[in-house]
Amino acid sequence: MSDASIPDDVEPDHEHEHSHHAEGPGYATPQAAIEESDREKLAYVMSLYVGTDVDAPDFVAVVDIDPDSDTYCKIVDRIELPNRGDELHHFGWNACSSSCHVEGLERRHLIVPGQRSSRIHVVDTKERRNPELVSVIEPEDVYEYDLSAPHTVHCIPDGQILISMLGDADGELPGGFLELNEDFEIEGRWEPPGEIEMNYDYWYQPRQNVMVSSEWAAPKTYYPGFDLDDVEEGRYGRKLHFWDWEAGTVEQTIDLGEEGLIPLEVRFLHTPESTHGFVGAALSSNIFHFWRDEESAARSAADEASGDEPRAADGEGKYRAEKVIDFEAREHPDWDMPVPGLTTDILISMDDRYLFGSNWLHGDIWMYDVSDPSNPRRADSLSVGGTFGEVQEVQGRKLSAGPQMIQLSLDGERLYWTTSLFSSWDEQFYPEEGERGSVMLKADVDPRKGTLELDEDFLVDWGECPAGPARAHEIRWPDGDCTSDVWQ
Amino acid sequence: MTGAPSHDVRLEWPDGRTRSMDIREDETVLEGADRVDVALPFGCRTGACGTCTGRLLEVDESDPADAGRDSGAGAVEAAFAYRRRPRALKDRHRDDGYVLLCIASPRVDCRIAVGSSVHAELVENPWK
Repeated sequence: MSDASIPDDVEPDHEHEHSHHAEGPGYATPQAAIEESDREKLAYVMSLYVGTDVDAPDFVAVVDIDPDSDTYCKIVDRIELPNRGDELHHFGWNACSSSCHVEGLERRHLIVPGQRSSRIHVVDTKERRNPELVSVIEPEDVYEYDLSAPHTVHCIPDGQILISMLGDADGELPGGFLELNEDFEIEGRWEPPGEIEMNYDYWYQPRQNVMVSSEWAAPKTYYPGFDLDDVEEGRYGRKLHFWDWEAGTVEQTIDLGEEGLIPLEVRFLHTPESTHGFVGAALSSNIFHFWRDEESAARSAADEASGDEPRAADGEGKYRAEKVIDFEAREHPDWDMPVPGLTTDILISMDDRYLFGSNWLHGDIWMYDVSDPSNPRRADSLSVGGTFGEVQEVQGRKLSAGPQMIQLSLDGERLYWTTSLFSSWDEQFYPEEGERGSVMLKADVDPRKGTLELDEDFLVDWGECPAGPARAHEIRWPDGDCTSDVWQ
Repeated sequence: MTGAPSHDVRLEWPDGRTRSMDIREDETVLEGADRVDVALPFGCRTGACGTCTGRLLEVDESDPADAGRDSGAGAVEAAFAYRRRPRALKDRHRDDGYVLLCIASPRVDCRIAVGSSVHAELVENPWK
């Protein structure tokens, strides 16, 4: 049965409907998401033409990933946006499991920002196979708040939406956070100005009253492409910021140092009680584990009680970060310098057992057992695409780039990925990506054995789009996913 | 406004396609191209992203505003007025004649290399 046969007004997950009668969207717990969700049958994928000579706007692809469907592995609908030049990148839901308690709220609208344009689109997915663009916030309205370059979209538990913004209105620093209300209008800046300089991804753990944010660079630095001179001049980020979630203020900043260059995707464990999480440092190609250090927190509380200055310097705050995985640079016979892996995406399985990630330049998908988060144990990896991948074509289709944005099924058994990073960076490292378009690939995961196996029957090809080859970036499931659902 | 002076701007794509158009001094090259339905790549429209980058190939020697110069930062400065600071370009790019077409308005007749491959020239793969 395809999703198209489900009436618009009925949640497809009857178990879920039953267990949360008359309550909000999502699942009661991460374990409920695993047990009660159906297999993913549709994927929404950010797709883009910006930076190419194809005269067409970017689009959100609706991809059929139901193996029983006649259109399996096909793009079955495209939500074309009204303007060219957006660079669709990351997107998110208006509501997730963090709003499970909010009666009447639905996980139904996708907030789709343009990274380059700063235009924010709202897409209604009531008809899952034929979503519809319903409203647009124009760039000028965003610039009024001295913000640009929208990135990570999370709903916040009461129906509002928070978007990390990487630059000011001129594409320079500082960035900040833009809040939308439940009617998808700009509410204002979420944080008091001046809390951070650089911004990128963020994740929050409301039960712990904490948010963590990471750093890329100023838009004017990363937009044109990657330049080593910018690294040497300190224009790329290497810090994590830990926020008081309620107050919207930075409580502690941890400088990850030379080994934490360009910390991008940042994830807390899904368990709402947990204070553990991971961040992938893209350029230095390693993974840091961070956690709240209870001894330090207790010491801090004692200091405050005794009237001493609270400790806030690096390494003395309540949170600590430690490098736990390193991906070594590799020599390439035709390249001048050892090539870093470029760890561009990570995610945590819904059961918090595995950390998955991608090394875009090397061409690796990897999984680590993080049952003990301070001691990750390598479980398996796949060498596919990229500069060194053992598999360089699937079904006769040449791969142009390495694995990039990843998404995992809620049950943790299917890992999907696309291959585009950012249009200008693609052009620099994998110029063929623009000529051939991206692909979406899949691996079957055995969580019991801790193994990954490439599914060679699965291939979605953005090279065959009607207007010309397109790039494909972030992936979302209609029923929530491992990179957007948070629990209250 | 239609009274603003205009200049003959010739756009040249890597595949050999060319297009000449009059672009007014009060509009950017991107706006002028858009007005006559010529598609050029663009992103932010504020001079921060570089997606619209073109490269100045030549200015019209007969134009008194810039006789004698044919490329480089000096020629770019004489050939275009920027609405805002071209933040996506570094000094070395400006020295090499690159220009952000979303914020640049012509002051002389000129030829410009356009298309997405011009943007890709700004940075190379540093490891290769």
